[in-house]
Amino acid sequence: MKKLALLATSVALLASSSFAKEISVGVTMSMSGPLAAYGQTAYEGIEFANALQPKLKNGDTIKLVLIDTKGDKVESANAATRLISSDKVVGIIGELTSTNTAQVMAIAEKKQIPVISPVATNDKLTEQKEFANRVCFTDSFQGAVVANYATKDLKLKTAVVVVDQAQVYSLGLAKAFVDAFTKAGGKVVKEIKVSSGDKDFKAVVSQIKAANPDMLFLPMYHPEVSMIARQAKQIGLVKPMFSGDGVANQTFIDLGGDAVEGYMFTDFFDYAAPPTQRSKDFIAAYAQKTGKQEVNSFVALGADAYNVMLDAMNRCANPEDSICINKEIKATANFEGVSGVINMDKTGNSTRSAVIKVVQNGKAVYKATVNP
Amino acid sequence: MNTLMLKKEQWLKISFVAITVWFIWFSNSHFDEYTIRILNNIAIFIILAVSYNLINGVTGQFSLEPNGFVAIGAYVAALLLTSPEAKQYQYAIVDPYPFVLTLHANFVVALLLGGAFAATLAACLSFPVFRVRGDYLAIVTLGFGFIIKILAINVPEVTNGSLGINDIPEFSNLYWTGGIAMIAVIVVLNIINSKFGRAMKAVRDDEDAAIAMGVNTFKAKTLAFCTSAFFEGVGGGLLAALLTSISPDLFDFFFTFQLLIIIVLGGLGSTTGAIIGTVLVMGGSEWMRFLDEPMNLLGYETTAMPGMRMVVFSLGLILIMLFAREGVMGKRELTDLLKWRRKGGK
Amino acid sequence: MDLTMFMQQMINGFSLGSMYALIAIGYTMVYGVLRLINFAHGDIMMVGGFLGYFGIAVLGLPFGAAVILAIVGSALLGMASDRIAYRPLRSAPKISLLITAIGVSFFLENAFNVFFGGVPRAFPVPAYLEEVVNFMGLMMPVSAIIVPIITAFLLAVILWVLFKTKYGMAIRALAFDVGTVNLMGIDANRIITLVFGIGSALAAVGGIFWAVNYPSVEPMMGVLVGLKAFAAAVVGGIGSVGGAVLGGLIIGFTEVVVIAFFPELGGYKDAFAFIFLILILLFKPTGILGIDFEKSRF
Repeated sequence: MKKLALLATSVALLASSSFAKEISVGVTMSMSGPLAAYGQTAYEGIEFANALQPKLKNGDTIKLVLIDTKGDKVESANAATRLISSDKVVGIIGELTSTNTAQVMAIAEKKQIPVISPVATNDKLTEQKEFANRVCFTDSFQGAVVANYATKDLKLKTAVVVVDQAQVYSLGLAKAFVDAFTKAGGKVVKEIKVSSGDKDFKAVVSQIKAANPDMLFLPMYHPEVSMIARQAKQIGLVKPMFSGDGVANQTFIDLGGDAVEGYMFTDFFDYAAPPTQRSKDFIAAYAQKTGKQEVNSFVALGADAYNVMLDAMNRCANPEDSICINKEIKATANFEGVSGVINMDKTGNSTRSAVIKVVQNGKAVYKATVNP
Repeated sequence: MNTLMLKKEQWLKISFVAITVWFIWFSNSHFDEYTIRILNNIAIFIILAVSYNLINGVTGQFSLEPNGFVAIGAYVAALLLTSPEAKQYQYAIVDPYPFVLTLHANFVVALLLGGAFAATLAACLSFPVFRVRGDYLAIVTLGFGFIIKILAINVPEVTNGSLGINDIPEFSNLYWTGGIAMIAVIVVLNIINSKFGRAMKAVRDDEDAAIAMGVNTFKAKTLAFCTSAFFEGVGGGLLAALLTSISPDLFDFFFTFQLLIIIVLGGLGSTTGAIIGTVLVMGGSEWMRFLDEPMNLLGYETTAMPGMRMVVFSLGLILIMLFAREGVMGKRELTDLLKWRRKGGK
Repeated sequence: MDLTMFMQQMINGFSLGSMYALIAIGYTMVYGVLRLINFAHGDIMMVGGFLGYFGIAVLGLPFGAAVILAIVGSALLGMASDRIAYRPLRSAPKISLLITAIGVSFFLENAFNVFFGGVPRAFPVPAYLEEVVNFMGLMMPVSAIIVPIITAFLLAVILWVLFKTKYGMAIRALAFDVGTVNLMGIDANRIITLVFGIGSALAAVGGIFWAVNYPSVEPMMGVLVGLKAFAAAVVGGIGSVGGAVLGGLIIGFTEVVVIAFFPELGGYKDAFAFIFLILILLFKPTGILGIDFEKSRF
């Protein structure tokens, strides 16, 4: 009798695991092209999170299908279409930049496939869309974080903003900052326009010096910001300088040298102060695998995009039901992610905290956390 | 004139049109979305390639204009096709000029206007460049492409800057792209076989002799350049309606470089070659994805090297130039191949 | 704008213009002898910058040695590209040569992209070059002041080579007529290789200057600079070394000064070089120093 029971149980177990299938989740990311470094970093996080947790509650395995978009819009469109129609993915993680992500989301929206973006911060991305989500904060939040910190904590009253016309990220963040700063009682005395690819900002820093503001806000990426910082130092312009997460990487500090000592920026999380238990585990596992102590925010956010997707799938009766997955993504509450506690809302945006870091002795050091 | 041969050519043309029409219908009803998207891309690039071939291959004037004119066609079409409400919503940097909001036209007009705009600009550019020996065309067109991109970024009241124009209604489908591709090929072939085409080839083969023979080389070059620009503008409009969103970074030098590889591979000067080149490169591009991934080279496992695909492309271009300059078709068309066979070897 | 700021911008203009000039010289010399627009020339500048970075950051060489490494390496690369990609096409139609040049350019950019990554690397500038000099309220880093001085010196050297040495005479003869040179018993191919070597060496110096003044190197850094340098060469008078320098200075100055006076035009900075190009083609196609290459001389 016992033998029969054992046999029956093992048959049942075998049967259930043989029913376990592979569910495909697509990833569209810039693995080559001008943004390759960023894309590869984000994918590192997604892949690692998948390696740490490849299975759903019911035993199904999640298979990542990665398509390289080369940072190109046409390719992003092709990639999204291919993932949905050929690979039959139930959800997509990606892309990297707000413009390419918008392209992916437009296509996925028509097919009712949820998209989770790890790092695209432009406000308009999730507007007027049902199936667009993200785990990072938005530009308006980031701008407000800096503006409030500058006015309330550092008591700075006037600012000069330098905007990179060629980057959507810069335009969005600059606007958010100006709105928030003005609302908090500050005054933006000058807005200067530059274009990415420029290296010579001597005219720009001369103007800033002449305007003599309390602080500088440079919502751009690290190649341009590091040059501005250097050239500012060269003409003796020494003021508190701020940027968004576009400079949150070691390359910025390398390029800037001692011109960026004391530079402040916002970031998603700080690996030296892990906000959740999952974060601690991830960082430890990451250090063991790569030998690197430092976990870049993009890695953490990539991991969280995957984790939120996985968590939503777990809460669905049928983990292949894209509409249910989308609903559950938006219902995510108090999710302990690698980069912090994430709350999703029905517009697809996430509410989460930001950290402020400062560059000290060639390293980015934690300064403060700002909660929503 | 061998009447039998003439008839054969006519049959060839009719069957070409018939097969294309049938293929378009067939694909639309039988292939999945991804394949249709790739076919749409191929059709648009065929339009761009055969027109680019006109100035580069047939007239022999090295130009790098496609990304600029395609951008113009795309933006004109985008501005004319997107609804005023969508525009009002998207223009986030600054408020658009009032005329931008009122601009509206149907699909055909939008495409034609895009092409016309591009052709006009081409005529303006031709004047300073073709007056001198056409050596500078390459640098000027390259710079032109840059300037268009700079304008697109710095005049957000019209173009919405680097945010680009989104929510363009998706008018493009295989009937439009395939149909216009067919028209483009027929028009270009007609030009090449006309007296204008002979003038263009004369310019390519020996410009001094052409001038000595009384050929108006300036007119020939300008005609080729403007026709090229027109179709590139139309192609740009189709692209905008296919992607449903465009932004300045879409039209960079690599776009032109891709077209260059296509026409070189197919054979500079051959329209059939341009078509073959498009299919090979667009299809091959997808196939070559494996180059970007970890590979097993003779038992030695390499790490993933994204971007290797580009290195292979450029090496391929150099090798073709050095060893197989004719490309697949050389200067021949499909009809020439058939003639050769019939005559029993020339 | 006060006098100090004005002087500051003048020096900046000279600096930037000199860098464009150095690269333009290479373009103009190659065009003079081959009638080829060597699209890959801007990327040679990038290679020079990278070799310098490699020398200092990876090999640990002192700055001077790294510069020599960069110059020699780039010259060799330039000569090799001629030997491998351009020489076999001497008798081919011009368009093939131009296409190959683009191919080489693209290849260099992407090869460096694959092997070094697209992320900019910090160029380790020696401290004595970064020191800021304070002269009557004018604050300039040493690097910005050195560039025009060294460029002037190099220009003098090149002109001396061209007009006072046998090789220089051969180069000028080649620009005149390739066939005759061969008939005179001079191996045209070797002279052409020499031209590529000199041009590339100068581009490498430009690349090092660039890397010192804007301390980062990345695979695409030569693209726009190269284009502007060619426009500069045409504006000054293609085929003329003096013209190349003049063109470079004009474009460099315009970029700096216009932005200083009209900051709102900042986004259009890159367009100036091409606007100048179109204007010159409209009004004086042979360039300011007016060398008609049908009877060309340097």
